[in-house]
Amino acid sequence: MSRTVGRPLPSGRDAMHVFLTRLDNALNRLYTGSGYVAAFFLVAIGLLVFANIVTRVVSGYIPGLTQYSGYAMAASSFFGLAYTFQHNEHIRVEILLSHLRGRARWIAELWCLGVATVVAGFLAWYLCRLVYFSWVFQEHSEGADATLLWIPQSGAMLGAVVLTICVLHRLVATAAGREHDKNADGDG
Amino acid sequence: MDELTLTFLFIGALLILLGSGIWVAVSLIGVAALGMMMFTSRPVGDAMATTIWGSSSSWTLTALPLFIWMGEILFRTRLSEDLFRGLAPLLRRLPGGLLHVNIAGCAVFAAISGSSAATVATVGKMSIPELRKRRYPESMITGTLAGAGTLGLLIPPSIILIIYGVTVNESIARLFIAGILPGILLALMFMGYVATWGVIRRRRGLETESLEAIGTVKQALLLVPVILLIVAVMSSIYTGVATATEAAVLGVIGALLLSALQGSLNRTSFTASLLGATRTSAMIAFILAGSAFLSLSMGFTGLPRGLAEWIAGLDLSPWMLIVALTIFYIILGCFLDGISAVVLTMAVIEPLIRQAGFDMIWFGIFLVVVVEMAQITPPIGFNLFVLQGMTGHDMGFIARSALPMFLIMVVGVALLSFFPGIATYLPEAMARR
Repeated sequence: MSRTVGRPLPSGRDAMHVFLTRLDNALNRLYTGSGYVAAFFLVAIGLLVFANIVTRVVSGYIPGLTQYSGYAMAASSFFGLAYTFQHNEHIRVEILLSHLRGRARWIAELWCLGVATVVAGFLAWYLCRLVYFSWVFQEHSEGADATLLWIPQSGAMLGAVVLTICVLHRLVATAAGREHDKNADGDG
Repeated sequence: MDELTLTFLFIGALLILLGSGIWVAVSLIGVAALGMMMFTSRPVGDAMATTIWGSSSSWTLTALPLFIWMGEILFRTRLSEDLFRGLAPLLRRLPGGLLHVNIAGCAVFAAISGSSAATVATVGKMSIPELRKRRYPESMITGTLAGAGTLGLLIPPSIILIIYGVTVNESIARLFIAGILPGILLALMFMGYVATWGVIRRRRGLETESLEAIGTVKQALLLVPVILLIVAVMSSIYTGVATATEAAVLGVIGALLLSALQGSLNRTSFTASLLGATRTSAMIAFILAGSAFLSLSMGFTGLPRGLAEWIAGLDLSPWMLIVALTIFYIILGCFLDGISAVVLTMAVIEPLIRQAGFDMIWFGIFLVVVVEMAQITPPIGFNLFVLQGMTGHDMGFIARSALPMFLIMVVGVALLSFFPGIATYLPEAMARR
């Protein structure tokens, strides 16, 4: 559409469409971004374990290294959830689904996505509670690191929240009849 | 409602969720929550959050993403091409000729990748066209690939052994070491079958292959760095210099150096390997988190204890138990991939196995071989589907080609059961050091 003088104002429907497309792209960027955060923590695991080897070789000691690599593991796993979902790489049993076509397939997908939204939401909600109570009671790790637990727990919480948004996003998109493109990274 | 009805409801819910195509991890969490709601009055959600946080932030898990990353890096090097050109000159004079490349190639690649579908796909991509050009029978090409591809689950560093180790709380290092001999044994049995086939064919004068050279012995040297890397990783574990996780970091560093020396390391391949590893490990970690919650919930249902008591009441001999479990896992393998099958069942099977007095390291190896076998069980198995996509043959043909390999694996499981030392000798020797 070229910007000519006589161009009519976008109707409500068009504005809605523009808004939804933008939202869609922004959300896809959120999942990809959270995947990059997960990748960062994966590298962090490697560095922490490497630091552990080095300190042992020089007979030094840094308290809490093993706990930190555990926290990085949790952060990497949870931040990676939505990104992995976006790429259709979570395992599922596809025997039944692969035999369904058309409307039956659509209904089956809605059922799967519906259950997944509820479960992801449930997980996200209770991880929020976990973080909240760790924060209220200022709980510390029992390990040598004595980290305030709400800090690493927030990583898991945020990852679960993004997963919930991602699954819900797919549920809405599927309900609206859109095919999923697993390579949509939100750049377009 | 009585306990039995509840138990059936519980299992039924799991089957419906899994069967209708809901993601495995989501099904596990859903069923676990349902089970806790039915069997206890404890706060379900908070117990879930604590359990999932505890299991996801465990230090032992960190070996998983690192070994996956190492595989992803090596996967993006020129390795798969080198594998064929390097192994061919070494193996082509054996009876059965270049078919041995399929098996040895899978064994080497298995040590790197830890996934059997990836092993079949990578080795097959190179070897199928070359073997076809030399007029090897299709059934042998397909069969050897199907069989040897399953080595990916066994030869360490194996992802599924890490998962088993984390689930039942056994040492990953000892499991890795225990997997070495059974893996080599199976590879040798596959090669023995090919060699016998080759000798019979030679006697009948049916040999069609030209002895035209492919690759040179010099090219075999290309494989030396990769094999050295694997040997270094494994021996650092065996000698106790490094834990499994530390060995994994050394493996990642080695893999990065190797791909840099080969010139295949650049920004794109580095990012791709890292993001690929991130996705695979997030997928597995999610399943493991679900399974930790399911184990907790199962504890409340009393199902594992009930089952263990029921089996104990049957007074089965250990042999019958092993046979029953083998059949059970083969059936399960028709529907589930290896990782899900192990994770899903261990919550129930573990108490049973411990009560029956099996060595948990031995059982881990047994379990992995059986799960592998399930991947090529005719008529449905995961690796068979991969091969169908790659060769274009119909499922019936592929299943028939894979059948001899399946039978060899049955013999392998029998040997492993008669001589448990095949799995337990090395870890015990390691413990004595």
